[in-house]
Amino acid sequence: MFKMKKVLLLAIVTLMSVMVLAACNSGGEKSSSEEEGKNVLETIKKRDKIIVGVKFDTKLFGLKNPTSGEVEGFDIDVAKQLAKEILGDENKIEFVEVTSKTRIPLLNKGDIDAIVATMTITEDREKEVDFTDVYFEAGQSLLVKKGSPIKSIDDLTKETTVIAVKGSTSTDNIREKAPDAPVLEFENYAEAFTALKSGKGDTLTTDNSILLGMASEDDSFELVGGTFTDEPYGIAVKSGEKEFLDALNKALEAQNSSGEFDKIYDKWFE
Amino acid sequence: MDFLGAFTPDNLIFLLKGFYVTLKVAFISIIFSFIIGGALGTIRFTKIPIVSNIAAVLVETIRNLPLLLIILFTYFALPEIGINLGITVSAIVALTIFESAMLAEIVRGGLISIEKGQMEAARSSGLSYIQALRLVILPQALRRMVPNLVSQFISLLKDTSLAVVIALPELLHHAKIIQAQELSYVIPIFLLIALMYFVVNFALSLIAKRLELKSA
Repeated sequence: MFKMKKVLLLAIVTLMSVMVLAACNSGGEKSSSEEEGKNVLETIKKRDKIIVGVKFDTKLFGLKNPTSGEVEGFDIDVAKQLAKEILGDENKIEFVEVTSKTRIPLLNKGDIDAIVATMTITEDREKEVDFTDVYFEAGQSLLVKKGSPIKSIDDLTKETTVIAVKGSTSTDNIREKAPDAPVLEFENYAEAFTALKSGKGDTLTTDNSILLGMASEDDSFELVGGTFTDEPYGIAVKSGEKEFLDALNKALEAQNSSGEFDKIYDKWFE
Repeated sequence: MDFLGAFTPDNLIFLLKGFYVTLKVAFISIIFSFIIGGALGTIRFTKIPIVSNIAAVLVETIRNLPLLLIILFTYFALPEIGINLGITVSAIVALTIFESAMLAEIVRGGLISIEKGQMEAARSSGLSYIQALRLVILPQALRRMVPNLVSQFISLLKDTSLAVVIALPELLHHAKIIQAQELSYVIPIFLLIALMYFVVNFALSLIAKRLELKSA
């Protein structure tokens, strides 16, 4: 009994000392990072390089090429244009890998200046970071064989079988938006696409970013009917960095009006 | 399934680069955790008041936490209190913390397994406690620990794949990137990296068997 008490006491003392240490540390760190300069835009200009968090494992948006070692994709090209608009050279940019889990912590730590990584603008996220204007309209869509009578979600009836992937929200969405159409579920995207190719269903539904990747693997398939759910992608920056956010929005605007944006879009998705 | 497309020289080199990171992180963590775990286990065995108790609390706490939690903690939580370690160092620190606690118990178990008479005989021949521990008990205990130590090292090597959550560019992470290129690469690449893990870990356990036979 006495021993147990001793051990418990020790545990409490250790914990408390760790917490005290932690408190000291955090106080010191904050003041030093405040001294570094508050404005991200100024830091970028001084550094003469913009550090962007991108995906390394997402086809068409940000995918590392094992042969060249370069990251390639729509997000990458958009980010390069931002560097060109802000710093005058599209090569004054460094790509850091982020995942859906690591991107916001990395941004808030200051390891990256902005996130261009298939990031959907949501209300919850807007509490943590600031978003630019929408640069890609993602959402659920339909993939069909070219020449299919299905032109949009309204063409789905009892006679048209929809292929979906088990456990994804897209299955729920399609059941809600086209309740008459029978849904055939598969374990993963590879199986689902094989099923569509072999004619087990008339259309395959999931996020358009994934469908675009499938269409790029086999060009006898195409996307139809636009998107019927709304998941706009935005570029995220640390909240409160208004000047940097304005600069990014201006750069996006410039890409749009110069036609550069359409060129990039066609390069990856047409 | 597209084995030919998946196993191009470029993809294989890319996977080997990932495997190099896996082995490097595992090797560094093994060295550190062997030193720290050895020390903790010995301290716990010696029953020095307070010091041994602290070691016991540390070991028992860490041993009962999931490794994934420790990895996420070192990468996401430490920066909040001003310790920003980066991906590779975070992974090494997390693995070292966790494996040290596991190894400490193996070392302590090995020390306990040596008959009490050994210590008594060593002491009565004029050796100090530390000398007896270092020259008589530890060498014998170490030999008995070898199988358990090696199996813990094998676990550590496999556990490096958990660092995929913080995007450590190790084998599993590089496999995911290649799989993302084409849907048909998924199964071939999984089979290949399974083989890579197996070859290295099986070789390790064969070496452990050899050592066991020699020491027997």
